[in-house]
Amino acid sequence: MSRTTPRRRSRGALAVTLAVVSLAVSACGGSTGSKDPAVQAPVKPGQKVDLRFWSWVPGVDKAVDKWNATHPDIHVKLEKIPAGSSGGYAKMRAALKSGNAPDLAQVEYQEIPSFLLENGLVNLSPYGADKDKSKFVDWQWQQGVFDSEVYAIPQASGPMGLFYRADLFEKWGVAPPATWDEFARAAQKIHDADPKAYISTFPAGNSAWFTALAWQAGAKWFGVDGDTWSVNIDSPQTLKVAAFWDDLRTKKVIKTEPDFANGWYKDLQTGGITSWVSAQWGDAIISGNAPRTTGKWAVAPMPQWTKGANVSANWGGSSTAVLKGAKHIPEALKFAEWLNTDPASVDLLLQGGYGWPASADGYKGSSLDKPSPFFGGQKYNEVFAQADKSIDNSWKWIPTIDATYQHLNDGFQAALAGKGTFVSAVKQAQQQTVEDLKRKGLKVSTGK
Amino acid sequence: MPTRAPRRRRKLAPFAFVAPFLLLFLLTFALPIGYAVHQSVMDVEHTGALGLGGSRTVFVGLRNYTDALSDHAFVRSIGRVLLFAAVQVPVMVALSAGLALLLDSASARGVRFFRAAYFLPYGVPGVIASILWGFLYVPGVSPLVEGMRHLGISVDLLGGDTVLWSIANIVTWEFAGYNVLVLVAQLRTIPAELYEAARIDGAGAWATVRHVKLPLLRPALILTTVFTIIGTLQLFAEPLVLKPVSSSIDSAYTPNLSAYNEAFTNDNYHLAAAEAVLLALAAFVLSFGFLRLINKRGGDA
Repeated sequence: MSRTTPRRRSRGALAVTLAVVSLAVSACGGSTGSKDPAVQAPVKPGQKVDLRFWSWVPGVDKAVDKWNATHPDIHVKLEKIPAGSSGGYAKMRAALKSGNAPDLAQVEYQEIPSFLLENGLVNLSPYGADKDKSKFVDWQWQQGVFDSEVYAIPQASGPMGLFYRADLFEKWGVAPPATWDEFARAAQKIHDADPKAYISTFPAGNSAWFTALAWQAGAKWFGVDGDTWSVNIDSPQTLKVAAFWDDLRTKKVIKTEPDFANGWYKDLQTGGITSWVSAQWGDAIISGNAPRTTGKWAVAPMPQWTKGANVSANWGGSSTAVLKGAKHIPEALKFAEWLNTDPASVDLLLQGGYGWPASADGYKGSSLDKPSPFFGGQKYNEVFAQADKSIDNSWKWIPTIDATYQHLNDGFQAALAGKGTFVSAVKQAQQQTVEDLKRKGLKVSTGK
Repeated sequence: MPTRAPRRRRKLAPFAFVAPFLLLFLLTFALPIGYAVHQSVMDVEHTGALGLGGSRTVFVGLRNYTDALSDHAFVRSIGRVLLFAAVQVPVMVALSAGLALLLDSASARGVRFFRAAYFLPYGVPGVIASILWGFLYVPGVSPLVEGMRHLGISVDLLGGDTVLWSIANIVTWEFAGYNVLVLVAQLRTIPAELYEAARIDGAGAWATVRHVKLPLLRPALILTTVFTIIGTLQLFAEPLVLKPVSSSIDSAYTPNLSAYNEAFTNDNYHLAAAEAVLLALAAFVLSFGFLRLINKRGGDA
């Protein structure tokens, strides 16, 4: 149809305008309260219940098949959607606004508050979700709890460590860095040994990664006290991390290409990038994209700010939430609980590479608990099992986290283009985030 | 009495003919625009830290507009597309006109082949074209960058100073052929007698181009210029697709990208609507401004 109109490049604008219009139509229905009891379709004995579930997690289809085979009364129809930040959340928000949301959906931990603000999640406490608490790692359970009410069932997280090319490190006489100081020295040494090789990239367009590093350094960006949010992004801990990478960037001993992009995958394959501070789920990214480097990688704990310390952080993490408008909430809750705790389901999800289980006893004896040929026979998940225990569990998110990520991305990218520094980007993101929250009509304090 | 009925029918008849168009126009054009304008003066208010106290939509007047215009990133994005347009529009129009004149000249061989070849990129969707060129821009993957490196030229086609022109290259590649087609169609309408008369007056090939072809090509040139202005302001797909591979494209690289991100990432539909309306206004002012300018200078277009 676009070929018949001479305004060919207007497609984008038109799509945006139309989408804005169509989405907003249902958004102006006046006042809505989240405590409204959901309208439930009564289930007659023997009636088959159908649930719709939106997810992008690899391997989740096999777990859903297993559920359908073992639960003839409750049929779950899985609909694969793009990963959240790649359009999945936009799709969910649009569905919520048009009143056509699925019963269940994949929602990452950092997105739960923003979905709450949009009045998109069902409070699961009245349906007895609290009894499942003991089945999950406590801090991951808390990610879905607000005002003592449960809004999401945790699925997986991303405890962090350091993936590195053991063969190249050995060749150049570089030990896996135990501290960030050693990391900086190793960066120099690696680049000196081979001008084409770098210790890692600083992905300016991926602030979620930077956030995890700030989390490890002891920053606490967000908090809530009553109805007032506190925003503390530009704390000394965060600025320390930003300055550290500013230093490596100006010395040109790290790369600054985007991660999860063609150039970066090529560097993983060819040794252009020789290590990656990443979450446990990074194993599937490396082995899947650089299969010819089998046996050459190893995993070490995340570098520390204080020698001898043992602090890790979390990058990523996801829950299964019941969306507003779900017609069979008790059944949906039952499925969410089974999906994330049943050993058979957890094992299928692990094989798909969904991350680190939120299920309290998900690791021991699972397919993770084995030596890996790709990582040179190392039982590398022990590093992450240890990391999982060394995460500051009080970390909280805000309802406008996507905008904060974007401010940081934009600031970091500007720094790479020669305008400002990573440090100034962090300071600017602080101010902009306060503005974002105020713009949503929320109360904010900058608790220093 | 019997004489009045037919007259009324005659009065109603035109409306009956226009009605289908009017209805479609209202539904697909006026209504969405009106709705976007309506959305742009509203906003959502939440109660409680997590909005658990509920939310309601309230009238905020022009607040979304002042917010958009005081957002440096958005204002910069407007400046960026204006700069882009200042370069892209003349290049595009000159290139298209040049190619069209070459295709039209009698001495050119393989006219049909070249016309198809120029037009072919237009058949490639913008997103695909951007992915395709993206591969040719990314260092380490691109044979283009690699080849230039062997020649001793090191250039970052995705860097802060270059990426806008890398996008311009994609846009030119995509749409020049389309404009060529419009111009060629106009050239075909020039009657052969005019060329004959010019030849008899002793005009060479170049004089014919200057004094016969270009003046008669004017309406089509104006048309393609207006299209290019509008298209340039609405730059969207190319930067969106190149964003993941370039550190220099931020979330508000173009006004369209900014509106898209406000709506679908930050969930600020009302601000996005205001930005969309501002962009539409800018396109309106610039394209009509251009037409006014042309009409003042050289009579009717």
